[in-house]
Amino acid sequence: MVALLKLVVIGGGILTVIYIALSIYSRRVRRGKLEAEWLVAGRPGDEDAFVEAGLKEYDGSLRRKLILGVYVMPVAVIGTIVYLTNFN
Amino acid sequence: MVYLKWVFWAVLWTIVLTFLHYTLPQHDIARITDTYEKRVDFGENSIFWANSGSGNAAAPTNRDVFFIQAFETNGKPIIYRNEDTGWGWPPYFKFDTSNLQAEASDLISKKSAATAQWVSITHYGWRNEFLSIFPNAISVKPVAGPDVRIVPWFNIILLTVLAALVWGIWARWRKFRVRREKRKVDHYTEGWG
Repeated sequence: MVALLKLVVIGGGILTVIYIALSIYSRRVRRGKLEAEWLVAGRPGDEDAFVEAGLKEYDGSLRRKLILGVYVMPVAVIGTIVYLTNFN
Repeated sequence: MVYLKWVFWAVLWTIVLTFLHYTLPQHDIARITDTYEKRVDFGENSIFWANSGSGNAAAPTNRDVFFIQAFETNGKPIIYRNEDTGWGWPPYFKFDTSNLQAEASDLISKKSAATAQWVSITHYGWRNEFLSIFPNAISVKPVAGPDVRIVPWFNIILLTVLAALVWGIWARWRKFRVRREKRKVDHYTEGWG
């Protein structure tokens, strides 16, 4: 069981790094898009307020939660491989 | 400096391709002639043997290992080891070594057999006589005959996804670098140049 623990700890660590990096990247891309949107919309009001409101909406969105797939996918893949290798 | 760059990329590609060739599954069409168990004392080649920790003691200096002897369609012998990979690397998560050995023994077909029983042996790893290393068998499946062709769907899909992933990250990295260079140039026009 030590080997399984090692896999979970090291694998979980790597996935957490990927999750954090992806979250930051995705938020920055969204920020860039909102800034562009603000320009296209003819600069309505304050830019920062516009971007912040958009990011707040993004934080509650499904798109944001899809990044959790970083954890879900490997677990599903490992489960499938365990089944295919040993019980199929 | 140009040569240094070439050498760097050549070495990198060699490492990546060697790693993939060792790790990814391959299918051999073969005829199993014997299965046995023999004690192996690990030495310099210990990295090419499983270190699974699937319930047994971790990292002993020697232990008994299952082997599967077979002959390929070209008549050349090929020997597989049959070891658990457990939760370790490579990620085959194989725990059914004993079951596989039973299946392999059941499919034995000698040269003298009236109708040969051919099997597809999925494995990873290399056979190297100088290092005494053997590919690790993952599964055996009976097939119709020696001419059966197995399409490596898993490898096709995995390599495609891997290439897409590397390309995606590389493209974004390049965009990031180009933008940073541009921002330097556009400094005096406050990014509106």
